[in-house]
Amino acid sequence: MLRFLQERVNKKTKKVDERAAENGVVQDEYDELSTKQARVKELMRRLAVKLGKENDVEEDR
Amino acid sequence: MTIRLAFTAALLSLSPCLLAQVKTPGEGVRPGAHMPPVHEREVQNPFQAFDQARFEKEARALGANDEQLAAFRVDVDELGAARAADNLLRKVVPAFDQAVLAAEDADPKAALDLTKVLVETQSPLLQAHVRFHLARVFLDSDDPERSIEVLNEYLGKNINHSPLDGDAAYFYAQSLAEIPMVDAAIPRFRAFLQWFPDASERLRSAAHQRILELERQRESRLHMLADGMKKTSRDLRKQKTDDPVQMDQEKYLEELDELIEMFQEMESQSSGPASGLGPSNSPAASSALPGGEGTVGDLNHKKSLADRWGDMRDADRKKIMADVQNTMPPQYQKMLEEYYKKLGKADR
Repeated sequence: MLRFLQERVNKKTKKVDERAAENGVVQDEYDELSTKQARVKELMRRLAVKLGKENDVEEDR
Repeated sequence: MTIRLAFTAALLSLSPCLLAQVKTPGEGVRPGAHMPPVHEREVQNPFQAFDQARFEKEARALGANDEQLAAFRVDVDELGAARAADNLLRKVVPAFDQAVLAAEDADPKAALDLTKVLVETQSPLLQAHVRFHLARVFLDSDDPERSIEVLNEYLGKNINHSPLDGDAAYFYAQSLAEIPMVDAAIPRFRAFLQWFPDASERLRSAAHQRILELERQRESRLHMLADGMKKTSRDLRKQKTDDPVQMDQEKYLEELDELIEMFQEMESQSSGPASGLGPSNSPAASSALPGGEGTVGDLNHKKSLADRWGDMRDADRKKIMADVQNTMPPQYQKMLEEYYKKLGKADR
């Protein structure tokens, strides 16, 4: 799922970049794009924290 | 969800070799990948020991009287030099006190008020204190880059005038960590600990804690990926969608592909269900709720600067923006315009 979400953000970034060169893009669109990237980041962080905790438990055994 | 379960199950049976691979981040996903490299080298300590006589002389030039200086000396023993010095300047310069009060109250006007004091003073001592508080305001508004800009000015123009130098060094490292520029933040936290052995215990223990967290973060590919994505998220908000940002994003995909492949390989190598999926070795004797208070989250959530900015009347917001445009020199005008614009866009 993370890969799928990141792929979507990448595609959207390219589109916004192309449109910015042609007609310009309003700040709201950049903010929306940034929020999408932040959501993927948050999922990634949660997974890293969860796996880190589980790994600590394993190492303590 | 499937990937997540596979990650979890696979990690429970990691071989040491594969575990090392998961912990070692790929170069491309480091958040500072497109920033100038930070070289590991011995840096000479630019900070001098606090010169109280010089400080008092500069405070007198700002208007401190004998009574205030006597109170300052008592405060140095009781509160520490940094806080005592800040308290003294707040007593001596009412406009500075008002601006710091606004900052403590998460009032959006604080950045403007502090900058006004900064523009009007020639005293490097007062500039140091104003820049310190301004950097804190930016950091509290999730704007570590601007915080670093302000602290760079502090370190370039105002060091060795105030006992606040140690706090400034700490928050410089903290701002780098928030970007996150992990590789640059760790040596600066270490330098803070080495150069300021008499800094407050609160800051010193926080620095130790941050070093541990950042080192752990640096050893984990997953955390490094999240750090890189955090920086990209900021870049996108700043309208950066060009090749360097797109290259970062492509590397996140490559990194995710590698991790998925690795976990799939581990899954196929493990035989039988992972140990963590079976019944517990030490089940509870009886079924009952755990003890402790039944609270969920922070019930006394303090309003953020962005909340307060959003709650303000349109007329008040316009007045602040008019002040920024009409009373500030160009370099501060740009800084504050961008700050208030970002505050208006922040997630609340």
